[in-house]
Amino acid sequence: MSSDDELAGRLRAGDQAALRVAYERHGAAVLYLAQRLLGNRADAEDVTQLTFVAAWTGRDGFDPQRGTMLGWLLGIARRKAVDRLRSAAREERKAETVAAHPATPVEDTPERIVDRLVVADELERLPEEQRRTLELAFFDDLTHPQIAAVTGLPLGTVKSHIRRGMANLRRRWEVDGAALGSRSAGPSRAL
Amino acid sequence: MQHLDPDRLVLLALSEEREELTEADHLTHCTSCQQELRSLRDVATVGAEVQDLRDLPAPPEHIWQGIAAGIADSPPDAPVSVAPAVALAGPRRRRDRSRWLTPVLAAAAAAIVAVAGTVAVERFTGRAPGEQVTARATLSPLATVPASAGGYVQVLADGQVSIDVRNLPLTTGFHEVWLLDPDDLTKMVALGNLPDTPKAVLPLPPGTDLNRYRLVDVSDEPHDGDAAHSGNSLLRGTLTK
Repeated sequence: MSSDDELAGRLRAGDQAALRVAYERHGAAVLYLAQRLLGNRADAEDVTQLTFVAAWTGRDGFDPQRGTMLGWLLGIARRKAVDRLRSAAREERKAETVAAHPATPVEDTPERIVDRLVVADELERLPEEQRRTLELAFFDDLTHPQIAAVTGLPLGTVKSHIRRGMANLRRRWEVDGAALGSRSAGPSRAL
Repeated sequence: MQHLDPDRLVLLALSEEREELTEADHLTHCTSCQQELRSLRDVATVGAEVQDLRDLPAPPEHIWQGIAAGIADSPPDAPVSVAPAVALAGPRRRRDRSRWLTPVLAAAAAAIVAVAGTVAVERFTGRAPGEQVTARATLSPLATVPASAGGYVQVLADGQVSIDVRNLPLTTGFHEVWLLDPDDLTKMVALGNLPDTPKAVLPLPPGTDLNRYRLVDVSDEPHDGDAAHSGNSLLRGTLTK
């Protein structure tokens, strides 16, 4: 699996196959974000297409030092989706229709959806045992001793996997997440 | 008191254990530990929400085809313009063709690339015997057109062109079929208008050089009495033998 650095290099060199790799790797997340933001499949597919075309056109703007490819693509997709929502709102005003927009619950804000996609992606990248212990803690709500019992790992190992795993997720979130301004103040302490 | 132990903060963030009194006391005074705990709680909260995002379904291939059509030959430092066809909808003046044809060139080349792969496959899938096909093309939507739009063109030995289209955007005008010279997009042959049916057969003007006019183009034309191409292309595809 080629790294973001390598992909970025190939993209900048004008290698379309690199965009295809990016699409295969991150197209699902981009489509998911667009669908959640726009609420309909046809618009979401359009925005996904626009996002990757814009990524290609603006490929010189991707800097692997500043964030991951996924974070960059989700940022573009978010802007495209918001543009579309705005122009749809303008159309509605033109037609003088007043549509009641239900308030967005906090867990469904664009920022939160981006954060989730970024964290999900990072979870996939964690070393196997770190990932497994975190899944048991997050999804199955197991305690450290329960995780030790289920996995057969010593309790101390479970502890360190979870601590390091969470630190990894957090670092990634700080790099790529959307909603951080309000969340983390100051550099993270080494865990 | 010392800062809370990192392992301890994790347990508190996961709500696995409750704060001791001394810890609660420290947390009310120590902003560093407060922030640490809050940030770990955020990670735990979002972490618990990602279960459904683990195995998102792969995006459909037709989106990629739209992307492929949109990207070919676009220079890296061009402004972010993902809708070449929109720029074409300016004032229509016959002599001004060259102004809209330049941006179209990139889109046209894109369509060729996008279609090349598909055509290669379809060449071997075979058609009904007796229906002699001399050339064919798969039509892909340009970037501004919904990705579900598309079409298929066959040039028959008797000089007819059969064209199937699907999911074209609605128009207040009509859809027209053209054969363009991809090497000089100011040169084109008008084949005719599409009826409302998904399938149409149009006559190929006798003597048309299909090696030159090999780029099939479906455009959206307004009812303005101007017979020239509107510049608003919807589908493109290159004929191959």
